[in-house]
Amino acid sequence: MKLELRNLSCGYGKRTIIDSISMTIKEGEVISLLGANGCGKTTLLKTILGLIESQGGQVLLDGEDIQKWSPAQVARVIGYIPQLHEPPFPFQVLDVVLMGRTAHIKPFSSPSKKDEAIARRSLERLNIAHLEKRIYTEISGGERQLVLIARALAQEPKILIMDEPTSSLDFGNQVKVLNHIQQLGNLDMAVLMSCHFPEHAFLYSNRVVMLNEGKILCSGVPTETITGDRLKTLYGVDVEIVTVRNCANNEIKVCIPSGHQMAGQYSVTADWAPEYAALA
Amino acid sequence: MAKNNYSKLLLLIAVLVIIFILSFVLGRYPVPPGQLLSVLAARVFSGIPQTWSPTVETVIFQVRLPRIMAAILVGAALSTAGAAYQGMFKNPLVSPDILGASAGAGFGAALGIYFSFSMFGVQLMAFVWGLVAVSLTYGISTRIRHDKMLALVLAGIMIGSLFTACISLIKYVADPYDKLPAITFWLMGSLASVSPKDIYMALIPILAGTIVLFLLRWRLNVMAMGEEEAQVLGLNTGLLKIAVIFCCTLMTAASVSISGMIGWVGLVIPHLARMIVGPNYQVLLPTSILLGGSYLLLVDDLARLMAAMEIPLGVLTALIGVPFFLYLLLNRRWGWN
Repeated sequence: MKLELRNLSCGYGKRTIIDSISMTIKEGEVISLLGANGCGKTTLLKTILGLIESQGGQVLLDGEDIQKWSPAQVARVIGYIPQLHEPPFPFQVLDVVLMGRTAHIKPFSSPSKKDEAIARRSLERLNIAHLEKRIYTEISGGERQLVLIARALAQEPKILIMDEPTSSLDFGNQVKVLNHIQQLGNLDMAVLMSCHFPEHAFLYSNRVVMLNEGKILCSGVPTETITGDRLKTLYGVDVEIVTVRNCANNEIKVCIPSGHQMAGQYSVTADWAPEYAALA
Repeated sequence: MAKNNYSKLLLLIAVLVIIFILSFVLGRYPVPPGQLLSVLAARVFSGIPQTWSPTVETVIFQVRLPRIMAAILVGAALSTAGAAYQGMFKNPLVSPDILGASAGAGFGAALGIYFSFSMFGVQLMAFVWGLVAVSLTYGISTRIRHDKMLALVLAGIMIGSLFTACISLIKYVADPYDKLPAITFWLMGSLASVSPKDIYMALIPILAGTIVLFLLRWRLNVMAMGEEEAQVLGLNTGLLKIAVIFCCTLMTAASVSISGMIGWVGLVIPHLARMIVGPNYQVLLPTSILLGGSYLLLVDDLARLMAAMEIPLGVLTALIGVPFFLYLLLNRRWGWN
């Protein structure tokens, strides 16, 4: 399975946001999409999903352009995990996961026992089977994001697209969700996610695509591709990339904003903070 | 569907049957329950001796049965349409009346009465104008960039009052001895003058709409997650939206043309149903049908029994519906966030 974007341009109305980009996504890959706010990550993802009509170019799945496909056809191949949200109605978790089966259910039918079994299995796969009967709007943000991933798994797609899956999650939940996402790559699924933190790209993805001003700045293995210079181009700030070793003796790269001192090292002087100098 | 929901549905069916039988017995002309049973049995089995006066039979079959059927039909139709609109627009605050569908249908029907159209003509006008009203409301709301939920409600209120004004205009120019009273009494909402023929005329569109919505009930769940998400999950949202709006408006128009504008049922009943069985449309839709039918039948019984003179149904549904909805809002016992 291979998804290929060929000279894809996208945007809203006459405004072009992504300008003729090409890239390939293969099964087993977890690709992070890095870029500043408003650089077009969401627009690109929505265009691949068919939510926005492209302004040119092709989205090819094993050589076939999917832009003319029906929503159900696309949904059987591409799953989508949206940013955390709250629907207006308090559905049960199992019902939310069952919605992932929509593309496999005939127009005038409801989910069968088999669909329910598939939904339960995807909850188990994410270790959240105990949430089955809970109300989706009453569980925590991290749990809700896992439910949305379970729903995408129930869809049995070949490619998973996620739009900042960890935004608005606390640190612990970010790690939990990303660990699950990394495992999805092992399930012969391809994962394409937009993300805000270069560190997440280092830790959890095997390829990174850096988007700048509607073009691909570069793409490749995160450890080789993400450099201080490129992050400066993307985000306009100086970043130092430091290699550290964790307790398992693996090298891990970490980004540190340059020229930054530990908060405690600021000396409080009478010049700039007279009111605090007395306290110091 | 959970077992516990099955038992809730069975209970609601039982409630409807009880109110149904009670409605035959209650009324100014007394029909003892035993007599009712023998009259009904005589229709099915031959050879039951006639021990009742012909008046009883007329009261049961010509007066009470059409009225009972109409109350159940209209209540079920408005509630089902309300529930479906709410899921469709991902908005728990809408209903046939709030979206302007009722006012649009009312305008169409008033126009039909004014031009002395046949029952079919009146219904057709009601449907067409109901559809125009909902389309306008939805079209306007998509152009308002603020809070989507509020935009739809506001657009509905605007379109609703526009069509209410148009109805007033028709009333103003209508013949004060003949057409004006007809339009006025019909608008207040009444089932007093429903004939068996009216029932057949309304039964077909209401049944058709209900069946289609019932078949689409799983997809309404998905739609309630938001349009974009529903499409990504594999729904042809454009087509589904047209189908649901078509069915809901058809049911609303059919109700309006036999019973006038009966407010609040389409908003209150779906919420009550959601409180009882939760938001899953697989259960919510049948619950709304049963609950809506029972509710309006009960309210109609009150309308004809409470006072010496009959109280208009539309007045009573508002008098009951508004405080009840307020109670839901203030107690946050609603089935939505």
